[in-house]
Amino acid sequence: MNELIPLMVIVPMMAALLISAFSKFDKVIKVFAFVVALCLPIIPLLSNYGVHYFGGYAPIVDNITNILYHPAITYSFNFPQQIFIGMVGILTFLVVFIYLTKYTKVSGPYLFLLFMGTAAVTALILTDDIFHMFVFFEILALAQVGIVAASSIDYSYEMALKYMILGSIGSPIMLLGIGFLLAMTGTVNITDIVAIIRDGIISTSSPMFFLSLALIFFGWLYASGLPPFHTIKSGIYSKAEPHGAALLQSFTVISMISIVIIMFRIYSVLPIFEVLIVLFSVLAMILGVSLALTQTDFRRMIGFLAVGELGFIGLGIGLGTQYAITAGLFQALNEIVITALLFIGFGAIVNATNEVDTRKLGGLLASHPKVGIMLLIGGLAMAGVPPLSGFQSKLMLVQASLSCGYPELSILTIMVSIATFVVFVKTFYSMFLRPKPHDLEVVDKDVPRAMIFAMVVLLIIIVALGIFPDVVTNGISNFVGGMLH
Amino acid sequence: MAHTQLAVLFTSVALIVIGLYAAIFVDNIIKKIIGISFIEEGANLFIVGIGYKPGGIVPILMPGMNSTWFASNASYPLPYGLVLTSIVIGASTLAVMLALVMVLYRRYGTLSTSVMLADTSHQEEYDE
Repeated sequence: MNELIPLMVIVPMMAALLISAFSKFDKVIKVFAFVVALCLPIIPLLSNYGVHYFGGYAPIVDNITNILYHPAITYSFNFPQQIFIGMVGILTFLVVFIYLTKYTKVSGPYLFLLFMGTAAVTALILTDDIFHMFVFFEILALAQVGIVAASSIDYSYEMALKYMILGSIGSPIMLLGIGFLLAMTGTVNITDIVAIIRDGIISTSSPMFFLSLALIFFGWLYASGLPPFHTIKSGIYSKAEPHGAALLQSFTVISMISIVIIMFRIYSVLPIFEVLIVLFSVLAMILGVSLALTQTDFRRMIGFLAVGELGFIGLGIGLGTQYAITAGLFQALNEIVITALLFIGFGAIVNATNEVDTRKLGGLLASHPKVGIMLLIGGLAMAGVPPLSGFQSKLMLVQASLSCGYPELSILTIMVSIATFVVFVKTFYSMFLRPKPHDLEVVDKDVPRAMIFAMVVLLIIIVALGIFPDVVTNGISNFVGGMLH
Repeated sequence: MAHTQLAVLFTSVALIVIGLYAAIFVDNIIKKIIGISFIEEGANLFIVGIGYKPGGIVPILMPGMNSTWFASNASYPLPYGLVLTSIVIGASTLAVMLALVMVLYRRYGTLSTSVMLADTSHQEEYDE
């Protein structure tokens, strides 16, 4: 049923608008938000693969160039889209569930932002239109700012404004890059642009083409939180509610892979493109993990670790082979789940202690054994310990680096994984294993059941993907193979 | 390239450069936001310039017009449609930014970014 493809965007978007409009009816919007959130992971499972042309305008053949032009906005739905949209749907459901059970009176605007962010990120990964991508990139940035500003954490407004200022510089620069592409090709449909480049209708060695790459690349760096935007990205994670941060990081990962795949399709003809991706990814890996080592605020520590993990994704895509890109996308899927588990787990600790400084915490394993064990497994998965999902994707990345003839990159991958392990073990020891400080008060001993439920669901996915990675990697590999040929 | 198109291109570059300067180097948050708007409008103007056709007609197919004649004489309408959307997004972003500034102005009593955003900057300096 291809009619379901646009519904993946329309359902959360309409839900967001309705919840915002009827936010006075507390009980009604609670039930409505729960039902819609439950539907989100189901829609991509029911939908068939294929394309959807908005307005029903099918492609037409240009008589002069013989290129098949797409006059309408097109959504393309395949296995990777299904798996990523499904995963964001599961995460949105878990986050909405945690939020609804945490507060007796819920905020309509906050739910609006959660659903609008989900709709935007879904559109980003579905779209085959570069301007449409820009529109949802902006909507996503607004939703992210809102989620941060809506938290009750100190300096959240300041961080939101800072992120917004940087975004407001990054977005028009990206728009300018899209403008250059439009000026050269006369279209904003990505498949058409790729066909025009493939048929040699435009020169890929022209300065305008390079300039468009540089401008869109800058926008991508902002969206992904890769250097030089790594500190602001980890900053917004630390200023959002922990469940909000779990969703925010998934938005970042998906916007990163959506935009980089679009860039890959257009610019992979330029050898410098892959070099740039690898360069910034390596920087993100090194900076992310080294800055995480210096943190005492554990939310910020996970934020930096998440930035480092983004580097692994970029590395896979930058290497450019079918196996490497598959590894990068699999790593993206794993990062979404693992980082969400860590944010929710550490959120439970904030809930219990009202403390985020690892120096002031200790002995929490006795009072919160379930959370401690699940966090430990999540941290080990992030560090790439077998048989968890992070191990499978990192092993694939090491193999991909070796097969591409870059043993130094595989060594770096292993070293950064070891450093991630050290960061996590250090934090885990400080919070859970060392003796409890005398002045530490455990305010709320009971961790909300919704949080435990969310962590268990995410943990099952981590273990399942670790034991049966082929379930996902085969489908991703087929898609990547089709994209490359 | 027509003179008009060249003028549009130069103006858009000037707007973007002035905007970047204000957004990066000016301390007053309102002036910074005006600079950001300059960048946005510069990008929009550039895209409008792409659709310009010297001597071209408005891209609306009127009754009685020959479609081949229309196709070769009308200016390219796609950039105008895109810019319209971009302006709406820019206005929404501007509204959210100004709302955040209002809240922070009430809290700090100043429009200086070095004061208003000092706490978050301090945290980032420590990180770097």
